[in-house]
Amino acid sequence: MVLQLHVWGPAFGLPSIDAECLAAIAYLHESTSPTEYQLIQTSPSAVPTQHLPALHDPSTSTWTSGFSRIATHLQTHPPPSFSDPSRPSPLEQADSTAYTAFLTQHAAPLLSLSLYVSSANYAAATRPAYSAILPFPLPWTEPPAVRAVMVRRAEHLGMSSLDTDARAEKEREAEERAAAEGWVTVPSALKLGRQKEKGVGGMLSPEQKARIRLEGLAADVLDVLGEVEDWSTLSLAARCLAFGYLALMMLPDVPRPWLREVMRRRYPELCDFVNGFRREVFPKGRTLPWAEDKAGMAAAVVVTRFARGALCEVPWIGEYWSQWWTAKKRRQVLAARGMKNGSSSGMLLLLEAGLGMALVGAGAFFYRGLPPFGEAVQVWRRPLGTLSGLGAAGAIFSGALYGLD
Amino acid sequence: MASTPSSAPSWHKIQIPRPLQRLFDRFPLRTYEPNDLPQRSQQLTSSDVATLYVFSTDEDARIGAPSFNPGCLKWQTLLRLTNLQFRILPSTNHASPTGSLPFLLPPRTSSSPTSSSPPIPADKLLSYAAQKSTTTTNSPSPTTTTTTAKPPSPKKSEAYSSLITLSLRNAWLHALYLDRSRTALLRALYIAPCSSSRAVQTALLYQLRRAAAEQILSSSGTTKVGTAVGGAGGSSSADAIDEEGVYAEAWDALCALASLLAESETGWFFGAEKPGTFDASLFAYTHLMMEYMPEGSSTEEGEGGRMALGAMVRKAGNGELARHRERVLQAAWPGWEGRREGVESS
Repeated sequence: MVLQLHVWGPAFGLPSIDAECLAAIAYLHESTSPTEYQLIQTSPSAVPTQHLPALHDPSTSTWTSGFSRIATHLQTHPPPSFSDPSRPSPLEQADSTAYTAFLTQHAAPLLSLSLYVSSANYAAATRPAYSAILPFPLPWTEPPAVRAVMVRRAEHLGMSSLDTDARAEKEREAEERAAAEGWVTVPSALKLGRQKEKGVGGMLSPEQKARIRLEGLAADVLDVLGEVEDWSTLSLAARCLAFGYLALMMLPDVPRPWLREVMRRRYPELCDFVNGFRREVFPKGRTLPWAEDKAGMAAAVVVTRFARGALCEVPWIGEYWSQWWTAKKRRQVLAARGMKNGSSSGMLLLLEAGLGMALVGAGAFFYRGLPPFGEAVQVWRRPLGTLSGLGAAGAIFSGALYGLD
Repeated sequence: MASTPSSAPSWHKIQIPRPLQRLFDRFPLRTYEPNDLPQRSQQLTSSDVATLYVFSTDEDARIGAPSFNPGCLKWQTLLRLTNLQFRILPSTNHASPTGSLPFLLPPRTSSSPTSSSPPIPADKLLSYAAQKSTTTTNSPSPTTTTTTAKPPSPKKSEAYSSLITLSLRNAWLHALYLDRSRTALLRALYIAPCSSSRAVQTALLYQLRRAAAEQILSSSGTTKVGTAVGGAGGSSSADAIDEEGVYAEAWDALCALASLLAESETGWFFGAEKPGTFDASLFAYTHLMMEYMPEGSSTEEGEGGRMALGAMVRKAGNGELARHRERVLQAAWPGWEGRREGVESS
């Protein structure tokens, strides 16, 4: 058995669509001989760590996830041909650590603005790329999940206006609420006046409107990276990570290429670094040791993964379900490392949640069955089936029949 | 009449009960004009010296001891390094106009008793201090703002500061909020002052833990898709956090900071003459880690357990950071000795 690196599949002409996966591939490729590892194209739902990139080391039978952890794992448990060519001095090592943290903290949100938050780019480039690398039903669950995570990561930048899907949704909701609460509803045909903003503002895309702020955000990140005079002084791991983020900022062909334009115009040295690194590590014609994960691609497994992903989207239950599932998988990973972890009350929690849901549902059903408050209760009783129930005619008959009165 | 077509009852529209509606028809709700603040309010809420509101305890606030919140401690340290006279008062986020501590209330102005000067949020504190020191005392001391405004290597310092705001912060959050063995400390610091009710405390503990897990997950690279999906609000459980990764990153960060500091001849970061913003923000974490987490937690998971954060600080770069903490302590709190050493080690 050889090392197995589980990564997101290739996209945009790069070996992976995810920055950390890209960095992990580059690092492994530069430090280890291709006969000693395999690349497996997968998605987070297939690996026990639930996070990519994930490295499965059969010699220690452990799973490691996250780029820095993988790099550390490779340095501490080196495969036979492993050699990290960079020998940084303590200060250079410190710089590398600092830039790694900086990339994780600042470059990732910037990248997610370009590829995930911006609706136009997501719909035209990112989502099709994911659809191309995932087996059939999974594109329905996994890319939206990745997008949700990425959007949350970029939330603090306050650029949610790029997400026109979310904004349209909000507007529609507001309109519906206004229609439901208002006394008079204007038919939509008469609402020409406030249809959509006309004029210059209406013609501009959200990216164009926010262009100055976007450039400012990009400059905050890229200025710091552009200060690095000589990338070769940094450790190989830091260089790989920088390549992962910068390449995905620069290379994808997206309909709103603000990030690429900023990079090309103002940071030619970063572009040179990306191009040089790419030529050096992933030259045309060199094939990477991709391997087919037959067990993971079986139809039953894929459908199970899809069902799990769909279950996570169920309101209320999905939350508890995903918590329980994560805890379970985590115990599995820790058990492989020979660690004991206190058992969690996950199943109990799930049961509780189900019971609670059932109770709430029953309560709601009962409440709906109650008569409205304040209205007089009217009870209809079946009239008695006697002849007197027929009024005057009945009186005649009753008298005629029995000869009374 | 073009009214709403949906006369059918919907789930989320609960009709007002008829008796209530009749009641409100008879007594319509009316909002009165807000009253003016009473004359004595300014006397009660401000004093003759500027007041910095931070997370603290009553005793600590009286003697001006360091706050137990890293964000507050950073600004408290920076203000103490300037020659601004101020006192501190314990407070909570709810009291702050910006929603987060610290903030500074300027001293009372005698001219207008009711109109108080607006509070100053954290990021404007230094410029306020600089402005005060130039207008009033005009002392010869070059304020730290001159050194903090122009650090010699600003871009590189930004890269290094993300070691503090990402790696150290995540480790601090995890160690204080999510490590079950420190529940007592967390309760004593953040929860007990808020409420004495058992139920409220439990709810608060749950909320704090959840918020901390959410912070760690969304800020670091250890976001796991499987958990973050559940629910649009984002469910985050502590289980999704790669604990070892968080602490390993903190250790790397401390080592990197120590070797950066070792390069500087002045003993302050980036060769500055006086301690600046960077020193203060690092001190805020190292001081608290050494003071509150000196030794390992009890519930370690096999393999002999990991190092406590305080021990990490002490060991990083042969004690470089511990000495740095001592220097900052000497500069900002002259004559202060770690009161809590040994006391809080229970």
